[in-house]
Amino acid sequence: MNEFEVKDCVLLTRMSGLPPALNLRELRDRIAMCHPDVIYHHFCETTLAPSFDYPDYRNHFAVWAKHSLGDEILAERLGIIDPYAYSSTEDLRTATLEIIEERLSELSMVPWARAGHEFYFMKAITVVFDTGERIHHPDELDSAISRMTSGSIYFHVLEARRRPPIGLDDFSAWLQNFEGDWSQYIHAITSIDVTFYTLPELQKNLVKALKLIQGKKRKRP
Amino acid sequence: MKLSLEAYENIVGPSVIQQLCRLGEKLKDTRVVHINSTREGGGVAEILMWMVPLMQDIGIDTCWEVIKGNTEFFTITKSIHNGLQGEPVVIKKKDWDTYFEINAQNFQELKEILTEADIVVIHDPQPAPLLSLCPERKGKWIWRAHIDISHPFRPVWKALKPFVEKFDASIFSMNQFAQPLPHDQFLVAPSIDPLSDKNIELTPLELESVRAEYDLDLQRPLLVQISRFDRFKDPIGVIQAYRLVRKIIPAQLVLAGGGASDDPEGKEVMEEVLEAAENDPDIHILLLPPNAHRTINALQRLADIIIQKSTKEGFGLTVTEGLWKGKPVIGGDVGGIQRQVIDNHTGFLVNTPEGAAHWIRFLLHHPGRMKEMGKTAQEFVRENFLLTRHLREYLTLILFLLRKGKTHTILV
Repeated sequence: MNEFEVKDCVLLTRMSGLPPALNLRELRDRIAMCHPDVIYHHFCETTLAPSFDYPDYRNHFAVWAKHSLGDEILAERLGIIDPYAYSSTEDLRTATLEIIEERLSELSMVPWARAGHEFYFMKAITVVFDTGERIHHPDELDSAISRMTSGSIYFHVLEARRRPPIGLDDFSAWLQNFEGDWSQYIHAITSIDVTFYTLPELQKNLVKALKLIQGKKRKRP
Repeated sequence: MKLSLEAYENIVGPSVIQQLCRLGEKLKDTRVVHINSTREGGGVAEILMWMVPLMQDIGIDTCWEVIKGNTEFFTITKSIHNGLQGEPVVIKKKDWDTYFEINAQNFQELKEILTEADIVVIHDPQPAPLLSLCPERKGKWIWRAHIDISHPFRPVWKALKPFVEKFDASIFSMNQFAQPLPHDQFLVAPSIDPLSDKNIELTPLELESVRAEYDLDLQRPLLVQISRFDRFKDPIGVIQAYRLVRKIIPAQLVLAGGGASDDPEGKEVMEEVLEAAENDPDIHILLLPPNAHRTINALQRLADIIIQKSTKEGFGLTVTEGLWKGKPVIGGDVGGIQRQVIDNHTGFLVNTPEGAAHWIRFLLHHPGRMKEMGKTAQEFVRENFLLTRHLREYLTLILFLLRKGKTHTILV
């Protein structure tokens, strides 16, 4: 039976090579032409960034629309985009551009950011480490997850969705191939709405959901 | 100096150390050379003081070389430095020729080591021409800009750019500092060494001895700004802020800093500061020797509030140091300070002496809030600005360059 290999990951951020956007039209143009890793970075890798408060939105485009362009309507429309609901980054790009195009058509003037508040297009290199830890059985999953770093949670739950099987976290993918019926576990994991949690919160919710199932299993006669 | 990664495990946790060891295994025996322009004084030298021995500790063949120059050279490079930070300086053609010539002299001494190295990291503009002097180089060259070049004075950047654009990659502390260049540009924030003399825990006895030495009153609030005597650090603005606070609260102010061998302007600025202080016995202006790390550590720990009211700042390691000591920081709303001082969480960002005075008074009237912010500040530094994160990013970048990386994922 396959063991689950626990990985950890960190990001090394770099510039995309695109000039910063000063207004909404430039944002649209740069999103249309940027590398897919740039879209991914500003939508998905934001979770790994340190933050004291809950950010207004989980993607950088929505945050910039609100705070730098002062366009709350656009911010709300961009903010609700769930990047994991799209099967490819190209689809995500198309959906984002559609929202921006629509907003541009509604406005009589193109909104501008103040000097010093430009949007910088970035991307990142993901560095993946093998921690050497292995999970041998699904019943060990909850305690193993509780010991993981935020980088491991990000890698196995969020980053996993861009790797085959696309859209699925690593834990569920492993459980699907593990001997026996682990559908309850998979259901518990995939039912968690990952969008609004910080990584430590996501970790707590995963552990809680798995413990709940194990508790029910134990109570069964 | 011998340093070991193991010593940091209690501070950062085992997983961080494990990551660094893994990267070290992948880079074992890689020859890395760091080049800068001063062995002591200033943030770059402080970073290299720990980075070089730690790279050696994990098996990387690392060395640190310092270019030599005369007063004329360092006056020119200080003007280049100021120009890159936006000051409209005049640098004549003969100055640029001198800049290149001194680099050429240094190259003769460093030729072998630079030619053979797998990775050369050139810190800041002073040694930047070395690359163009080394056509037979075998390795990858990285230019590391530690300063805020978000709005450089164009003639200076235009003259420097031909040296910089030939590098294989560059590193900036923040995205705002990056310039259009034809190579990969990475973002790596600097960091501090929590076990260095500058940051290690001190005994109450040592704190008391520094307090007594500088005649600081334990009963009254203490504001401290540690930085070189440099106009971009706005020491005069700090004195103005202190005077606004003093109208209400009998605070004391320490402005302390060392000189650096590559900064000939310091003396002149110090004189301006002394004049502005007007012999106020509660303004302590201290010109400290470059090795006064424990004194600086003690002054930061004795402070109620740390100030770093810069008008231009690359990153501001003194801010990181203050936060690590659990102190709220009042910082200028510029450069890397913006990444560290998070309004109402780790301190307050300000633009004027009035703004600084406002938040100093607020904090002094809310000691509970000040304590809370201090705790948050220390954890923030632990997560983001300690040397282990910094080292990991350098090692990752080196691995990426050596593997001629094209993909977005590196497996270690």
